[in-house]
Amino acid sequence: MIGSVLAVFCFEWKRSFTWPRMMWWLVLMCFPIFIMGLVRYNALNAISASDRSQEVFLTGWLALCAWLLFALIPMLVAMLGTLLWTTPAISAELERKSWIYLAVRPHGSLSVVIGKYLTAVTWVFPPAILGLTIAVLLAGLSTWTEVGRVWWTMLRLVLLSVPAYGAIYLLIGVLLPRRAMTFAVAYTLIFELVISFVPAVINKLTVQYRLRSLLVEWCELSLIGPNGRPLSTSLTVIGTEPAWQHVLILMAMSIGLVGLSVVVLKSREFSSSAESET
Amino acid sequence: MIELKNVTKLYGKVIGVNDFTLTLEAGAYGLLGPNGAGKSTLLNLITGQLQPTLGSVRVLGRSPRNHAELFRHLGYCPGGEGMYSEVSGYDWVCYLQRLQGMSAKQARIAATSSLELVGMSSAMNRPISSYSRGMRQRTKLAQAIAHNPDFLILDEPFNGLDPIGRHELTTVLLDWIGLGKSLLFASHLLHEIESITQSFLLICGGRLLASGTAEEVHTMMVGLPNEVAIRTESPYELASRLMREHVAESVTVKGEIVTISTRNPAVLYEKLPAWLQDWGLAVSEMRSADESLQALFNSLMKMHRGEL
Repeated sequence: MIGSVLAVFCFEWKRSFTWPRMMWWLVLMCFPIFIMGLVRYNALNAISASDRSQEVFLTGWLALCAWLLFALIPMLVAMLGTLLWTTPAISAELERKSWIYLAVRPHGSLSVVIGKYLTAVTWVFPPAILGLTIAVLLAGLSTWTEVGRVWWTMLRLVLLSVPAYGAIYLLIGVLLPRRAMTFAVAYTLIFELVISFVPAVINKLTVQYRLRSLLVEWCELSLIGPNGRPLSTSLTVIGTEPAWQHVLILMAMSIGLVGLSVVVLKSREFSSSAESET
Repeated sequence: MIELKNVTKLYGKVIGVNDFTLTLEAGAYGLLGPNGAGKSTLLNLITGQLQPTLGSVRVLGRSPRNHAELFRHLGYCPGGEGMYSEVSGYDWVCYLQRLQGMSAKQARIAATSSLELVGMSSAMNRPISSYSRGMRQRTKLAQAIAHNPDFLILDEPFNGLDPIGRHELTTVLLDWIGLGKSLLFASHLLHEIESITQSFLLICGGRLLASGTAEEVHTMMVGLPNEVAIRTESPYELASRLMREHVAESVTVKGEIVTISTRNPAVLYEKLPAWLQDWGLAVSEMRSADESLQALFNSLMKMHRGEL
């Protein structure tokens, strides 16, 4: 079975070397670099050279860069990349009517799901990591220690967010192959961008909540509100759980959701005669 | 080899297969039925892609649903196309053989030899998007036979093939059967199946209407009205003469085509050449109006309902 997964992985990687896909790859890599460069250029132009060396500015700039990079890479690039490649993993095969050729192979459906998932995840890593590396260097952080800390934090967040989002979108694609993209976008907007900021227990179900909490902890960002109270206490949008717990939950979520996708797929019927799922 | 017990498959309120009971031993069989008869549903049940709503399906003694071991012995050529247009036929067949559990080297060898067998060796490195319909059919067949399965299921494999292509693939399939392997060949055209096997399963409306050899099916049809269409320049004269000979139940004339309904087509076929010579009438085309098999199936359905 490992050989079959590897075969799907290699085949899908080979298929991904097309101009449209490579263009997407470049866009995903360049977008955070472009935005970071733009923010730095505008911010540094607006602030005098003497102000730039003050402690308040340096701390604030570090926080701004960390949040911006977080929004651009572990959020945007990871979400968009995995949304584009894992959501249609099954629906594309059904639409093309190629599913049947794969499903009548020993462990065919399982190999295809896992192989495609791994392809998507490894496809998103390079633009995210390359984009991150260049964007961090462009950010103009005051010391190499800060550069290293932000880069290392973001790298770990990327390594956690891409598999987690990939697994969520994969499951959506398997559960709702006919409108997979629509539901995946709806999930992202409703859960990851709205509910993750709702100060209630439900936000703990989102990937965003975990990533945000890890960012604050790993980057040692202080969140003091206007009233002098820590924001994490007044708004439960950032978890106070230890980092290992968030990491463990994200890893378990990724593995669990891929496993659930396999189970769902094995129990479903995709009839080629009906030319749609039944 | 295949055992279906009272199998019913419903798609919502639509019946795909209706109370189907069948036992097939190893061998070559033709699954014959008009479009929409339930052939593909039946094949999907046999390959485990669908689960019966009622009843049970057993292939090689086990349920085919998610049955990895069965898929090692099964080759399936579906009716639809569904190939990756941007990859080459060779890469596609190779990929599917890797999924079959072969090593990269074994897959390459299997893909090359199966594509060669179906006459695709010269075009196998071209992208599938550049293939004609017949070439795609051949490539589909290659992916089904490359892993040398014991049991091959083909759904309308001759669609889009030219006569030469049909002849070549018929030879391939006859050689396949000659090796003692099993085959289930679905088609809506009688002559396609007759060229491969003499064992038929006739289905219509999701039901098994009849099974047996071609001879048995023909025997079953004795006494049932058959339609014969004849093209002539003197259709009214031919129609009146045939009526006078009492071989036709009814005669319909439409343009140059005379359609004769007869309960005894053998007599008509035997005597018609002599009659045409005597009457001095020229016929440019004669075919069984039952060629599409729809009439045959209508008759069998009526028999099934007790109307005949």
